Amino acid sequence: MGLSTLSEWTGRIGELVIGASHAEGGTRSHVVRIGGERDLPYIGTHPSGHKPLVAYELADDPSLWPAAATRYIGDWVHDTADWAAYAEKEYTPDLIRLHLTSTRHRGFSDTSRIGTTIESVLQATRLPLIVEGSDDPAMDSAVYQKIGEAAEGERILLGTAEAGRYRSVAAAAMAYGHSVIAQSPIDINLAKQLNILLRETGLPSDRIAIDPYTGALGYGFEYSYSVMERIRYSALKGDTDLAMPMISSATDSLTVKEVREAQGSEAEKTAVAWELYSMLPATIAGASIVCVRHPLSIAGLKSAIDSLWNGENVEGV
Amino acid sequence: MISVEKAAHAGKESLKSRMAAIGGSFSYEETAYHLPVTFALTGNAVNSAEEAQKAYNASAENPLVAGECLQAFQAARNGKESPPYTGFIPDAVLRTLGYSLVDGSILGLVLVAGSPPAPDTAAGLCRELQEKYMLTFLSGDIIQSLTSSGVKVGAEYRLVPLGSRPSSAIHFIDIIARVAMMFGGVTPGDAGRLLAYAKERAKAIVIVFPGLNDEEIALIDAFCLLGIPVIAAGDYDGDQWIRVQPADAVRTGMELKGIKVSVTAIPIPMACSPAFEGKSIRKEEMQVEFGGGRSPAFELLRVRPAGEVEDGKVTVIGPEIDAIPQGSAAPLGIIIEVAGKQMKKEYEPVLERRIHNFVNYGEGSWHVAQRDLIWVRLSQEAVAKGVRIRDLGTLLAAKFRMDFPDLLDAVQVTLITDEKTALAERTKAGKIYQERDDRILGMRDTDVDTFYSCTLCQTFAPNHVCIITPERPALCGAISWLDGKIAFEIAPAGANQPVEKGKIIDMDRGEFEGVNRFVKKASHGEVDRCSLYSIMEYPMTCCGCFECIALTLPEVNGFMVVNREYKGLTPSGMSFSTLAGTIGGGAQTPGFAGISKSYILSDRFLQAEGGIERLVWMPAILMQELKGRLVENLRKKGVESLIDKIADETKAGTIEELASFLVSVDHPVLAMKPLF
Repeated sequence: MGLSTLSEWTGRIGELVIGASHAEGGTRSHVVRIGGERDLPYIGTHPSGHKPLVAYELADDPSLWPAAATRYIGDWVHDTADWAAYAEKEYTPDLIRLHLTSTRHRGFSDTSRIGTTIESVLQATRLPLIVEGSDDPAMDSAVYQKIGEAAEGERILLGTAEAGRYRSVAAAAMAYGHSVIAQSPIDINLAKQLNILLRETGLPSDRIAIDPYTGALGYGFEYSYSVMERIRYSALKGDTDLAMPMISSATDSLTVKEVREAQGSEAEKTAVAWELYSMLPATIAGASIVCVRHPLSIAGLKSAIDSLWNGENVEGV
Repeated sequence: MISVEKAAHAGKESLKSRMAAIGGSFSYEETAYHLPVTFALTGNAVNSAEEAQKAYNASAENPLVAGECLQAFQAARNGKESPPYTGFIPDAVLRTLGYSLVDGSILGLVLVAGSPPAPDTAAGLCRELQEKYMLTFLSGDIIQSLTSSGVKVGAEYRLVPLGSRPSSAIHFIDIIARVAMMFGGVTPGDAGRLLAYAKERAKAIVIVFPGLNDEEIALIDAFCLLGIPVIAAGDYDGDQWIRVQPADAVRTGMELKGIKVSVTAIPIPMACSPAFEGKSIRKEEMQVEFGGGRSPAFELLRVRPAGEVEDGKVTVIGPEIDAIPQGSAAPLGIIIEVAGKQMKKEYEPVLERRIHNFVNYGEGSWHVAQRDLIWVRLSQEAVAKGVRIRDLGTLLAAKFRMDFPDLLDAVQVTLITDEKTALAERTKAGKIYQERDDRILGMRDTDVDTFYSCTLCQTFAPNHVCIITPERPALCGAISWLDGKIAFEIAPAGANQPVEKGKIIDMDRGEFEGVNRFVKKASHGEVDRCSLYSIMEYPMTCCGCFECIALTLPEVNGFMVVNREYKGLTPSGMSFSTLAGTIGGGAQTPGFAGISKSYILSDRFLQAEGGIERLVWMPAILMQELKGRLVENLRKKGVESLIDKIADETKAGTIEELASFLVSVDHPVLAMKPLF
């Protein structure tokens, strides 16, 4: 874009590594690095830091996943490992983000199955992995320990720590060498507080990714955009407690009314548009990883990010 | 009585000669940390007797290294002990254990070694440890003693039997050493980091019973170096060993290491939450009241030696609620005694201030003011549900423990409703209040090099920074310079940070280089300059909590101050709430300042623009509150007559009325140089 920065920033965003190659004791084909920015995203002929990445989200129990996401993939969704392998080959995302939705069933207790699922996904794909555990504090301890153990050596990004429940996630990350997603409810101060809490458990700050929580487009996205900007400004101004890369996922995009009700040929287009037009702005606000659930969103998002990154004019974007 | 010193000396000699006699190769299995204690302390990876002897010399003949090498040597020669004994615990199991420590599902690690006098003693001790979420390792005869009295041992019961001899206690240290390397980032060979980690972060204690031989005493004694308290429930006499009765062993150890079981629910028949803080109890709803000018009442918080405070104990001296007539005023003394290793006398007033919040947290209890001015009410509704005066004590004891878990180990509360006792204790309390006041009174900004910041309000005013000085308290009125200093000591990473004053830029305006530097950083670059004594040039930002707003009235060349309690319009044409909306949110607004009430009484009060002599208006309610002290101040300045020249709403409601009032009383602003 050829723009130069208007501010004299003093801070630098830390670098976070996801995945471990064979040489490092893991089995990934490559590792990814995020963060490292010294300026706002896409600024300068050679933007600072690492280029934003696109993660594809899938779930071990597709019945708890948006229909708009599973419909297009079809039968692959019934085997989590096959689903991951297929998505890697067909849609080439930068990362896979596995949500263990099976843990959300009432009375869930089969933690050994989580271990098997993670191991099979790690075998099926060579991409670096993000894993999302339970959302019930009562089972966190058992679930995160199992995830941590099953992915030992693979340096996954593990989610999600929140202010009220971060100990199990942090413990699993520290015990088995992973990193942590720290989520706060669209509030810069709570984001900072959680980072401090995590640091006090002994987790190094270069193993934290901030998730400021992202609302869907038309359903609060602008609040998330604004808080991401503020987190990034603070970090570049020297607040080291906020100088971590950010991850954003428009979690509710595929369940908003407009996407749910779109019919026929409009259905896929609407779903992709909803994801694309929230996740591309998220990278402009500072997100290093953006996550989508519709496979067709991946290519469009990657090419749009490339064009902003390289400063090219691409027709139709 | 066994002398630890003598036994340890003999034990070290014995370990040394046995170390010289070992040979061949040996190592632990299923670990990446070799012989972990030796590896962590010396950086040497030991796989043979020769390497072991080298490491032992490198460690300056540390008994821990000898103990570990000999243990590993014997395990390799004789094989591991058979179950239930675990012997060396593999890394994979340890990761799970480290996980539980970080996760908080276990609070700390305990080693119990030796032969307890009776099986019941051991069983009782272990039950207590289980109840307190501790993970317990057992070494020696205690294991037999437990199993014979029917106690199940094993990791699943949080009672891990390490070995049949107390020498297996070394595994306790190899666990701590590995946790330090796995979780604490301690590099092998960095003994200094290991010791620091063990001292500060490892929540570990050792309880020893009789039956240890000299080598084992030398080994356990070496634990003290790692900051692990050795609690002796047997006839041992050593400088660093703490002798206790078996029944007190767990409590003593946990207190020494600051391990606390958190209080989660308060057992009183009344809800307790900050949600009820703002609720008041009106006269018609009240069952009984205390103080408020109708009966003697006071509150006092004191620090006491640990032995004198029994955690959670509540004593009521005098009649309970059912013996006090409904609607009457009864005497009340609230005396809170606290103990804690890190608790200091200076913290007393800061903690005492919290009584106000905590009593208000109760759904049916209400509290205002402080010290011997308190006014407390209990509602009829609460009393009907079974709330008694004693419950206030239970609430206070529990809340103090919950909110200051690192600071307080024990809290006991005495409530006095007997008039004679209350009066006598109030007199004693009065002396303590006076001593505290004397400490801050007369402190000047020029006497100190450091101010304190407060960024507590950044949750809603992200760029606001309060600078608190001896002569300018926080704008909310709740935090003085001393409070800021103490809050920093209590929570070094908290919202009150020291601010180095630095070079004076302008003493009149109260602008300092260090303060500017701090404010720029803490306001995220938004505010470059901040003057502490000026309303016109770079005034301090405001959050929204200010007790009062001071603002300039250009028409009459002076300032007015309005307090939060005053609901009417001011001569500026605006009410407090309208003004508050204009200046809050962390912005710097020249001509306006959010201030505390006591800043009006300070010699530094907006001195850059002429100070108190430029004050032309404040609400009658505020004047009434400050009058006594203000008259005193004005008298010292020799301008006592000014007190009657400051208008209130009864004398001047509008700016025009104010202008003519000022002329009629010949207010000094008439002769002062123009503000603009």
